[in-house]
Amino acid sequence: MSAAETAAKTVKQRAEKALRDDFLRQAVRFTTDRLRSARLQAAQDQGNWEAWRERGRQIRSHTIAHLDYYLNQFAENARANGAHVHFAETAEEAVRIVQAIAERKGARAVAKSKSMVTEELHLNKALEDIGVQAIETDLGEYIIQLAGETPSHIIIPSIHKTRRQVADLLSREAGEELPTDTPSLAAFVRRRLREVFLTADIGMTGCNFAIAETGSIVVFENEGNARMVSTVPKTQITLMGMERIIPTWADLEVMATLLPRSATGQRLTVYMSGISGPRRPGDGDGPEELHIVIVDNGRSLQLGDPEFQELLNCIRCGACLNVCPVYRHIGGHAYGGTYTGPIGAVLKPAFRKNVAEWDDVADASSLCGACAEACPVKIPLHDMLVSLRRRKVEAGYAKRPEALAMKTYAAVMGDAGRLKRALRLGRLALKPFARDGVIRARIGPLAGWTRHRVFPAPAGEPFRERWASLQRELERELAPAAPVVRQRLEEALRRRKRSRETEGGAKRNGG
Amino acid sequence: MMKVSLFITCLCDAFYPRVGEAMVRLLARHGIRTDFPSAQTCCGQPAFNSGYWEEARAAARTLLDAFGDSDFVVSPSGSCVHMLHRYRELFRDDPAALARAEELCGKTYEFAQFFVDVLGIDDLGAKFPHKVTYPPSCHGSRLLGVRDEPERLLRNVAGLELVPLPYAEDCCGFGGTFSVKMSDISGAMVAEKADHVLETEAEVLTGSDMGCLMNIGGHLRHRGRPLRVLHLAELLYEGVSGA
Amino acid sequence: MADDAYRQWLAELDAESRRKQQAFLERLAAKLGRPRVTEPPPHPFRGAPDFWKEYELSPEERIARFIANFQAAGGHAFRLSGLEEAARFIADRARELGVSAVIRQDEPLLAGLGLESLLSGVEVRVWNDDPAEDWIARAAGAGLGVILADFAVAHTASIVTLSARGKGRSVSLLPPALAAIVPTGRLYTRLGEVLSRFDETGREALPAGIHFISGPSRSADIENDLTIGVHGPGIVYALIVDM
Repeated sequence: MSAAETAAKTVKQRAEKALRDDFLRQAVRFTTDRLRSARLQAAQDQGNWEAWRERGRQIRSHTIAHLDYYLNQFAENARANGAHVHFAETAEEAVRIVQAIAERKGARAVAKSKSMVTEELHLNKALEDIGVQAIETDLGEYIIQLAGETPSHIIIPSIHKTRRQVADLLSREAGEELPTDTPSLAAFVRRRLREVFLTADIGMTGCNFAIAETGSIVVFENEGNARMVSTVPKTQITLMGMERIIPTWADLEVMATLLPRSATGQRLTVYMSGISGPRRPGDGDGPEELHIVIVDNGRSLQLGDPEFQELLNCIRCGACLNVCPVYRHIGGHAYGGTYTGPIGAVLKPAFRKNVAEWDDVADASSLCGACAEACPVKIPLHDMLVSLRRRKVEAGYAKRPEALAMKTYAAVMGDAGRLKRALRLGRLALKPFARDGVIRARIGPLAGWTRHRVFPAPAGEPFRERWASLQRELERELAPAAPVVRQRLEEALRRRKRSRETEGGAKRNGG
Repeated sequence: MMKVSLFITCLCDAFYPRVGEAMVRLLARHGIRTDFPSAQTCCGQPAFNSGYWEEARAAARTLLDAFGDSDFVVSPSGSCVHMLHRYRELFRDDPAALARAEELCGKTYEFAQFFVDVLGIDDLGAKFPHKVTYPPSCHGSRLLGVRDEPERLLRNVAGLELVPLPYAEDCCGFGGTFSVKMSDISGAMVAEKADHVLETEAEVLTGSDMGCLMNIGGHLRHRGRPLRVLHLAELLYEGVSGA
Repeated sequence: MADDAYRQWLAELDAESRRKQQAFLERLAAKLGRPRVTEPPPHPFRGAPDFWKEYELSPEERIARFIANFQAAGGHAFRLSGLEEAARFIADRARELGVSAVIRQDEPLLAGLGLESLLSGVEVRVWNDDPAEDWIARAAGAGLGVILADFAVAHTASIVTLSARGKGRSVSLLPPALAAIVPTGRLYTRLGEVLSRFDETGREALPAGIHFISGPSRSADIENDLTIGVHGPGIVYALIVDM
């Protein structure tokens, strides 16, 4: 999907398109099923998963709460290692810095390993604008780059592409018809990108975790391309979201336990690399010059905001995508942004100050909570979606028909007498449409419902009207309470009283 | 005697009074007299979830008023009971209401939760010789934490064959206003859920939330594959009374 | 000349970055609602949960666990009797693979393998033994890389290699096959046991590259179909040896 296409429409419209794409839906289902069960198995194998999640949350929350301290420590240590460290508040600043380095180096080609931040910055385009070719080297990213598309999943960007489509793209690139089996296609990519690695002027990486203690950057991957672009080219540029930082190497163990298992069910990615500055004098490989660009681009908007600060805990594992029933049906492009799935639905609006720019992406959720349950660092994404919706309403961007409906709701539900009357009116109004106890007519607000389901006809007698006669009947039916029942109720009351007395302990159910 | 009040939910009030009735009768069979504070209207969830908190508070206050004196509040919806726990956010700027909300949370229970966790009863002596499948309510299980109580009640029903539902933990696509606002996505979700229900070859679809059942049952009927749909309370009441 | 201009520009860029850094961090502190934190904050939740730190396998268990997990990831792991057997193993593999060149780290232990004499007709290159050469190209042209693991971890089946003058990262990355000698004395149970050392030894002692290798290079990006050996070595041998 092109940038113009995604920008023009709403999630609803893009979703409608996605829902008609059978291959996409099948591919997304297959992939997310696989990753989802792999995560569950890995979590089970590791054991004590809840304890690991809580520790992950603690470390990330602590780091974010002291982000100024840790970023400073990181920057000073990275410089002491010989790296050049730059700070970019906006996407434009980050892009300018990278363009400047590339220009000054007279670079013609940049070999890139996977970096969601560079997607966010539209960095490839910015490099092309100054005549520098940016080549993706992660297999999935390479494929979609050839297709001129954006990634549809954080971990497996090309799941929406068929084998046939991949073979066609690669064959065009190869200048010959390639066989469609995976080993042949992968062999071509290995050969082609090997040339790229060996000749690129600049290697560019993302950063999974920066380690403040020693000024090191840690990259997780399975293919080896991130190692390649940080070993072979003479210059390396690493883009880093400013929140991607942890205090120490000891803390890395927790992240290394949570991330691969949550993403793909692996115990550890094939490669986990810690880069601490450019090559040392005498080293035979590694970059001679290393630049680290620390990017804000809306992240700081979450700081000091109790409803959203935890959003910065995210370690970009994609577990939320794999369990989301909405993502399962509409895939990544429908979200219309760099980040997709539940995390994308929150990041997209949360990273922008101007509520007027928010689209309807936060509405594409039934708030089932599967994402929060799967998140290895316990981000309450479902709560954040509600907060986003509320802020949109409070800022005056509610849709008029909906706002009106809600006002009516408040009027009716604000008083039981009014509700009673409304129930009667509703019964009368819907009566003509009811057949055999159900309504199928596509009328007014019901149309969205009745397109896919029958709607129940209102009960002839609502419960509140039935109550009086029911109560009378019950007087006759009421059995004597067994002593144990009485006891249990009294015990429950006592427990409640006790817990209220030991106040502070009265915060139950994950407050 | 203790005041055990009914939080019937707007959905059951308007569309499924029989669910409320079943719950009341089951409690009566255990000697528990219930009352229905008529000041209650709705927990406020539809407005809350869509971001209209002022409007949600209008509805929520009726519950704070209705259940002020109750010792226990029982409801046939895990989703609505969970909503009460969100009153902490809804009333965070109103300390008096907040205190009442905290108190209300502490004494409100979902139907299965009340029987199994409070009364300690997981066998109602019911008989229901049918093939049944049970999709858990997302809010009830994940957010409220009521996970095995409904299943325990079902497993003790004589003659009942509980068939596991594939992808049981996946949301059916109700989500309140989501089902209307994002109707096509919701439609896709409920279609898949219905496929799995049909795979089980169950005769009866039961659940803990009428929202979910209205959604799945409504879709099955729309698709021409109607199944008997019963709330867990209705199923159990039928099982003990033969009614 | 151009070099000086570049260095001048870079120095200016660095100075500018330092200036921006202060403003940047001030802004973050302001958002967090407090002045800049300049002292190390108490970090009570450091590293893995306590119960995990007690997890310790016996040396024999570590070897067994490493081998099992490494094979599960698609690697080949063997317990060998000593360096002599390891040398023969490597030579046999090199011949099987039909490589024309092998590249090894410049490590006395690896020199002791005597690969040169075991492999006639195959060039054995030693990383960086001649600084005038293009070692990246030499590694790219080799069919097998040989390294001595600095550490290994049983739980994740990881081989750890640290870069140095004689230990180029390319040796374990560019050739399509890799053989790593893993001394049993360097095999730990948990990842954290190795990682904590980097905190302890401190920044100045760190090499430019620390690499954890836990199997052959892989990808499943084409229709979820797993493929081995995408950019890094597709054939990886871990040879566990008592020293």
